[in-house]
Formats: sequence, C-alpha cells, structure tokens
Amino acid sequence: MTVLREYADALRLRDAPDQPYDEVVGPDGTLRPAWKPMAETAVSITPATLSRISHDVERFLADDGVTYLRPGAKPESWRLDPVPLVIDPAQWRILEVGLAQRAELLNAVLVDLYGPQRLLQDGIVPAAVIFGHQGFHRVTARASNHDPRPLVLAAADLGRTRDGEWRVLADRTQAPSGIGYAMENRRVISRVLPELHRDAGLHRMEPYFAALRSALLESAPGDQADPRVVVLSPGTHSETAYDQAFLASTLGFPLVQGADLTVRNGEVLMRGHGDRLERVDVILRRVDATWSDPLELRGDSQLGVAGLIEAVRRGNVRVVNGFGAGVLENPGLVPYLPAACEALLGEPLRLGSIGTWWCGDPAQRAEVERRLATDDLVVRTLEGTIVAGTPEELRARIATDPYRYVGQEQITLSRAPTWVEGRGAVGRPLTLRTFSLRYGSAYRPLVGGLASIRADGTGLPPCSKDVWVLKESPQDADQGLADVLPMTHTRSVTVLVPRALEDMYWSGRYAERAEDLIRLILATHVLAEDFRTRPRTSGGVSLEVMLSALDRLAGRGDADADIDAEFRSMLLDADRPGSAAQSLAGMRQALTDVRDQLSPDMWRIFSSTDRAAEELRSNPHSLQIAESGAEMLHGILAMQGIVASMIRDEGYHSIRLGRFLERAMQICLLLRATTTVRRGLEVDRAVLNAVLVSAESAVTHRRRYRGYVRTGGVLDLLIMDRDNPRSLAFCLDELRLHLTKLPGSTGSSRPERLLDDITDMLDRTEVAGLVAIGGVGRPNLESFLDQVHAQLVRLADAMSDVHFATGPAPQLLNVLSAVRG
Amino acid sequence: MRYTVSHTTTYSYDEDVTNSFGIAHVTPRELPHQHVAKAEVRINPAPADQSSDVDFYGNTVTYFQVLEPHQLLEITAVSEVDVSTPVYDETSFDQPWERARPLVDPSLPGAWRAADLAVASPLVEHTQEAYDFGAVSLTEGRGVVEAAEDLMHRIHGGFDYDDTATTVTSTIPEIFTAEGGVCQDFAHLMLACLRAHGLAARYVSGYLATTPPPGKPRLVGADASHAWVEVWVPQLSGAGTGQWLALDPTNDTRADDRYLSVAWGRDYADVPPVKGVIYTEATTSTLTVSVDVAPDQQE
Repeated sequence: MTVLREYADALRLRDAPDQPYDEVVGPDGTLRPAWKPMAETAVSITPATLSRISHDVERFLADDGVTYLRPGAKPESWRLDPVPLVIDPAQWRILEVGLAQRAELLNAVLVDLYGPQRLLQDGIVPAAVIFGHQGFHRVTARASNHDPRPLVLAAADLGRTRDGEWRVLADRTQAPSGIGYAMENRRVISRVLPELHRDAGLHRMEPYFAALRSALLESAPGDQADPRVVVLSPGTHSETAYDQAFLASTLGFPLVQGADLTVRNGEVLMRGHGDRLERVDVILRRVDATWSDPLELRGDSQLGVAGLIEAVRRGNVRVVNGFGAGVLENPGLVPYLPAACEALLGEPLRLGSIGTWWCGDPAQRAEVERRLATDDLVVRTLEGTIVAGTPEELRARIATDPYRYVGQEQITLSRAPTWVEGRGAVGRPLTLRTFSLRYGSAYRPLVGGLASIRADGTGLPPCSKDVWVLKESPQDADQGLADVLPMTHTRSVTVLVPRALEDMYWSGRYAERAEDLIRLILATHVLAEDFRTRPRTSGGVSLEVMLSALDRLAGRGDADADIDAEFRSMLLDADRPGSAAQSLAGMRQALTDVRDQLSPDMWRIFSSTDRAAEELRSNPHSLQIAESGAEMLHGILAMQGIVASMIRDEGYHSIRLGRFLERAMQICLLLRATTTVRRGLEVDRAVLNAVLVSAESAVTHRRRYRGYVRTGGVLDLLIMDRDNPRSLAFCLDELRLHLTKLPGSTGSSRPERLLDDITDMLDRTEVAGLVAIGGVGRPNLESFLDQVHAQLVRLADAMSDVHFATGPAPQLLNVLSAVRG
Repeated sequence: MRYTVSHTTTYSYDEDVTNSFGIAHVTPRELPHQHVAKAEVRINPAPADQSSDVDFYGNTVTYFQVLEPHQLLEITAVSEVDVSTPVYDETSFDQPWERARPLVDPSLPGAWRAADLAVASPLVEHTQEAYDFGAVSLTEGRGVVEAAEDLMHRIHGGFDYDDTATTVTSTIPEIFTAEGGVCQDFAHLMLACLRAHGLAARYVSGYLATTPPPGKPRLVGADASHAWVEVWVPQLSGAGTGQWLALDPTNDTRADDRYLSVAWGRDYADVPPVKGVIYTEATTSTLTVSVDVAPDQQE
C-alpha cells in the first residue's frame, strides 16, 4: 500500500458532511487536478521511501543550520514536511489577481491614512479603528513625510474554507518574514524529491529574489547610481533570524543591526572602521517600527537608530516597508476593506477575509455578542492579540472600550496530508503565507509561498510545507518574470561593520578554544585508559597532572565524579564555563550573527558536532568519549577548510586573528599547568608526551628528537619554532600578518605595539634559560609564561578597543521634571 | 497681553557626550487668541543639524543633533507672544455631555478628528477608577461644560499639589494612589475621566504667567512650564468642527490671557518640551529648567 492511497482510503471511510477541504484528494476520492501531472510518481511512494525522505529533509535542514526561535526558548530546528502543497495554475490565477489587488489596495489605504485621510473624513473607515491602533505612528503622519509607495513587500496568511475558497486570515505588512524559509524549503524539497520536482513543472523562485533585489535598489531616493541597501535585523535573538540572514545573503545586501548604523545631518550612515562611514539609501526593515528609533518611538529600544525617522521624513533614506505599515495588520480594518477598495481603486474587492466584526460599531458589536455563544469566534484587540475568557467575561471586556475589540470567525481550515513517522500521512490543518512585491508600477505575488501546518490539539508539532505552483505550459517564464534582470553581483558587500568583525574574531577564538580543549581531553583520556586504576604509578601521577591542566581550562567539576563523567561534562555541558560545548555554542552564536557573510557549509560543522554529542549522550562506554571527541574535533577542523577558501577580506583576517590569539594563550596555559614543576623523570616524560600529543606536535618531535623527550626539546618546539604552527612564535607571526591587514592598523597602533613587546620578549628568551631549575620548579619558565599570557590578554583588550568598538549604547536624556507646573 | 517668554533647559553630564539627538516642543502656536510675534530656538553647543517641522497635531517641533563633545547642553527658546482670553460661542455649552462623544456619534462635524483624542493614549489609561471618578460629575443629561468644570473642581479639591508625589511617567493608577501630583498629572487625570466616558479632550503644554505678590518684584525664572486640558464641544449647528474649551485643573479655572499655548497632543508623551537620546559613557546627568514669562512693560 502506498502512502497517498492509504491516505485517500482513510478519507473515504470518514463520510461525515462537515469534512474540511482536502488539498490532495477530491470529494470523489481521486487526486485533485494539481496532482495529476505527477500522479504516477506520487502515488508510487511507499511509507519506507517517505520515511527515508523525511529523514533526509531533517538532515539537510540541520546541515544548513536552519532554525526558528520561539520567544524565550532555545533555537529549534525548522520543520519541513516532505509532501508539498501543490496548486494548479487555474486556481492560482484567481488567487494571484486577488493578492495583487489586495496589496495595491493596502498601499493606497496606507498612503491615505498617513496623508489626506479621506477614508476617515468620509467615514469609510471609522477614525477610532485607526487612531486606536498602536501601529498608527503619528511621528510618520506628517505632511513632511511623503511616501507614495510605503508598502513594498506585503504578505498575507490565507486559509481555505470547506468549499475550497481562499480567505485572508491576516495581513502581514509591518516587516513580513518567511520568504527566506520558503526558498530554503524549496532548496531542500527539490533535493529530496528530484523526480517529482522535475515532473511537476513548477515555477522556480530565483527570479523573484532578483525582482526583490531590483525593487529595493529602485526604492532608493533620488537618482543614486549605486545605492546602498542594508537589511536591518533585530539580531540573532529574533524569531526569524535565519530568514533575515538568508534574505540578506541571497540578495547580497549587508545584514546590520541598529548599533551598526548612525544618523548624521539627517542621513543614515553605516559604521565602518574608525571614522569610515558609508551612506545608506534603503533599509529593508525587519525591526518593528515601534523599536526602530529610540528618539521618537520607544526610548528604551536598543534595536533602533536614533534619528532614523527624521532621516526618512527628509527623504534621505527609504525604509521598506514604511514605518506606518503596521497599522494595516489591524483586524478592525477588515470589515471596511470592501468599501475602501471601491473608494480608492473603484473596483470590488476580490480576495476577502474571514468574517470580522468591529465592536466599535453597534450593529457589528451585536453580531459579535450573538456569536460569542457559539464556538466559532475569537475576540482580538485591534493589535491582533487574542483575548481569552468566557462569553460573559468577553462581553464585559468589550463593554469597557468597544472600539478596542473585534470578533473574528474561525474557519475550518483545509487539510493536507502530512508525514507522521509511524503513522503515515495524516490530514492536518494548513495555512498559506503569500508574498506580494511592488515591482515597477504593479504588485507581483510570489508564485509559491510558505505553507504551515498548524498545531491542532493532537500534540503533533507545527511544521512547514513547500508550495508548488504548477506552470500552465512548460514555456511559461518562471514567476512570470521573463524581463527581470538576473542577479548580478556588481556590488558585493565591501564594508564589514565592526560588530561583524568582532563576531568573526570570536568565532575564531571559540573554535580554537574548543579544538584545544578536545585535544587535551583526548590525550588525557588515553592516559586514563591505561592508568586510572593505578594512581601511584608514574603514569597515574601524570594522569593527575593532565587532569589538573584540564581543570584550569574548564573549571573543577564535581570532585567525586569519576574521570569519564568529567570528560563527558567537559565535552557536553554547555553551562560549564570553558567546556567544549560552551565554546561551540559561543562559536555558533558568533557565526549566526554574521550568517549572511558565510558559506552555507559552515553550518555542517554544527550538524556534525551535534551528532557526535548525541552519540556520546546515548552511549555510556568510555571508548565513545574518544570517538565522539574525535568526531567533534573533525567538525571543528572543517572550519579551517572553509575559512581557507574565504575571500581575504577583513572578516577573514579577524577570524584568523581570533584563532591565533587564542592558540597563543592556550599554549601558555597548557605549558604553565604541565611543565613548570618537576615531578621526577618518568612522570615528566609521560606528561610531556601527553602535552605533545595534545599540541599536535608529537610526530614532529619524534622525528626531530628520536623519541628522546626532554623539557628543553618540547619548549623549543612549542615556544620557539617558527615553523611549527602550534608554537607561540608561529602564532605571533600570524597575528602580525593579520593584524596589519585590518584598516585600523597604522604600524604604530596600540595592538601593534603590544604585539611588538611580546615578540621582543620572545626574541630575548632562550630555551636554556627557561628550563633552568630552581627548587622543584622552573621559575624562569613560570614567569615567562605568565608575562606572555598577561600581555596577550592586554593585546586582546586593545584589539577590542581599536578594531571592534561600536561605541556606547544610547541613553535617554533625563526628562524628569521637565514639566513641573 | 504681550509676553516675552524665555525657556531654558540645561542638561549637564559628568563625562563628555559625543553625540546628542533632541526633539523640542518649545515654539508657541499661532491661534485665534494668540499671536506669535517672534520665536527662536537656540542650542548650545551649536548643533551640527537643526531643523523645524510641523507635527501631526500642527505643533512646531525642533529636531537637533549636537556632535561637538560637551558636558553641558542648553536649549533656549525665546518668544514674544500676544495673548487674549479665548472667546467661545457658548450656545453649545449646555448640550448634554452624552451628545459630545465622537465615538458614539461619528457623524458629528469634526468627530472623526476628535476621535483621536477620545481613545486611550500611552499615559492616559481608561481605568475603572477614572471612570468612576468621572461618573460623579458626568451625570445623566448634564450640560457638557458644567460637567467638565465640575470635574475640574473636584480634581482641584481632591488632589494635593505635591511635586514629590509623581514623576513624568506616572500612570493614572499611580496618581490615584498618590492622591496628588503636579499640573501634568492633574491634566492626565482629567483626560482619563473625560475619555473614559467617551468625551474627547487634549493635553496642552504651555506656560502660565504668574503675578508676583503685591509690592514684591517679579522674580525671573520663578515661572514654570505648565499643562492643562481642552475639552471638545461639538457645534450645535453649522459646519464648525467643534470648539476646544481650555480648563486648568491645577488652578481650577478656565484658561485666560495668562495662558500661553505651546503644543497639544494626546498626552505629555506627544509634546514633552525637550526629549532626546545621547551617546556617552557618562553615568549621571542633571537637568535644570528655567522659565520666565515677562509681561511686556510697553503695553
């Protein structure tokens, strides 16, 4: 039995009259027209195949590092169902016309509300619907702020009624998200279902991104020959950070945060190094308007840019969508859209919304109160928040401020087969997010979209679906955009903001920190395998020495825990300071902040380290520590390869700086913990061997010293040897190389001076002096390592000040008692 | 009366401020009963950028940015203003207050615009307490002006003038709890009581000329910025979009020729005299405000 047959049969058995519309199977039990072109392939898919495909989807998404962040939670993997939503061309045409009209209408409404307000004066839209909505921004509603096209990208969430009609559930106009996820979904599904994808004959999405890119470039004020566009993100803690970064890197525009921009003379500038500032012409805004300018809107916002609204009013920068666009998400507007459409466009509204009643109108309020008795109604504020309560409580709530509330019908959403492991295809409720872009003088809906399977009280998690809109004929241009210019990379991102450089620098440091710790754990684990049961032997003592070196890096854990538990905690416990898991999390965070700058391959690092960690968690054997540790190491080393093929720009140099600074510090810490105290010839030898292994220099040492391990030889190799990539001298050379390449470096800047000092210190030192014995230790070595380490810390601070500083955060002027009459 | 107003706001910081943005509502409005003969806004140190615009409510608003490192920022507004006592067409004053509610009767001339000032605003929440307090004055069928003035008397009588009781961001519940406050709080309170019943009313920011005690010289700087409210009273006939009756709950009086209007909005947050954002390592700042409303001796 194949998946779709089984699904169709199950539907036939359920012969109830109030069944939802099914997206795949028609009322007669056969496939809907959209599925007919690929019926043969589709129907032949067995549960085993679909299960494999579903796992492939998970793996691809993990490899690409696609996440979604619910507020207050850890990032979750993006969920994608392998079965696409397929829409046939005839149905799509109807929808497309409706979507284009709706976007045009919403733009016209926006222009009117922030301009002449004819809709309000003529009573077509009740004034309280607009003035009572928090998205109506009076700082933007000024005569000086003229923007004829405030709505560049509109989105809408649609649902299908029982009779198969699409209805708008909500308009998304503030800063619509999801188009990046839609593209990612397509990328994954086309890889896992290649035959089906090929047979279907569907619209590719790439030309739409080219159109979006050109629409943004054309949004620039004035006659800019080479306008600069940026994507303004609230940062990686945003729900849809992945979507934002994807969009930025696909479009080739820098992803910036509020602190990266500044306003001077009413113009928006992007911070570069030192005093370098570059003018910004267009901002694709993913920060809600309220948070966009602490000067004129929310003063406690750290996400915005002070003076941004003034820059917009002066016409020096275009913000997409305009700041006022959030008012269109107001459900109170819905009952008035048909009349507004007649008034502004002179046409009937084609694509309607679900039933919505505004309580500020007595007749509509009566309707809401009547329907409260039944279950198919929710009460929302004008801002869209659902108000919970019994019908009596809701009636009382509405009575206090009727104009603040709307009642909205809940439709039975259409149902689409969704793969559930172990159960087969399950029919689950579906919504569709569509996108409409102002391209030239008209709105162009994306031929496709982002479908969501909603939570339906079954405990199954929500997920997304790719959306396939089939072509009418194979000759049709993708997206109907035959004329769109292909994406050219005439303008690559040249300026990296200091914050991005800092993130890259830290990614290098964390990667090195994780690598060095794992190497040390692996070396110590080998000792532990041999000597854990023989504490009094020289091997047992050397194990103690190595464990104390680990303690220095990753803190003293539970003193009573056995050694393996300690190793596991140092690898896996992200809350433990200095652990490999913590360094990996820091590295991931830093890289996520600059995702738009990176090769997608970078995210495979984490899918392989995650898998290694997962295996270690599920396998209690000691040997698994070595195996998983080695796999994690492998993942981190892959970063070296990816970095090696990066463009040699400031970002590259920052990563390398971070790496070699951290490595130099780690060498000092390792040698300090292992070589400055003498513990007898045999113990010292075992310790030195383990040090060489963990510093990846054992092979070289063996070749050079024929297995004769002495402190002097080890120090020579790990401190002085300019040819050993694991030596302090080598690190200093690399630091110089990369530091010189940063624009803030002058040859005499403070970081360069500090680096000179360390190099001098090294040049004045000889191994013979370092190994000199005093009492039970080597005092010269001890003080040398301490001094170098302290100096490296100073160097790190100086680099932060000179190269990565973003300046102080904004503060509100103290307004206390400004009015005291 | 002609007045020369000088209003200086001074911020001082313990460290250099390298970048300072500001928004000021300090230029008096041109009105039927108020003529602005001269108005200027001076900022020290000299701003890199200064411009003026007209906001959503028709107020003049000044935007500035100072880029010179400074530990002292001074915003000085000097204006010469002729003011007379507003004259109203009082024939509509006796109409029941229930007929002056723009949300209930959106077809009243001007109601669509007044609706903006009948809905809740960030600092004026329509609490149950405000509704109940207002209900005592807004009795069934009572004339709108009589009811509003009664509310003004009761706020004046029931709340103490106490400049330690509240802050600029005090909410309606906090003012009720404190049972006191300053002009801004009384204005917000009155707005909440009126709007909770559907009336439209706006917050007015301005100055009040004070008269020195008999025999004493007028003290420069003894005056302060002031705030009061204006209640919307729809016209009974004709196309007029309604009148705005100015009432001062702090002094329990209608505004007269001692009241200079600078800016109005939904509440204080729409029209603070000066607000801004600074970039600095400074941790403390002090604010001093000096207002002088001097009657012109030549008149």
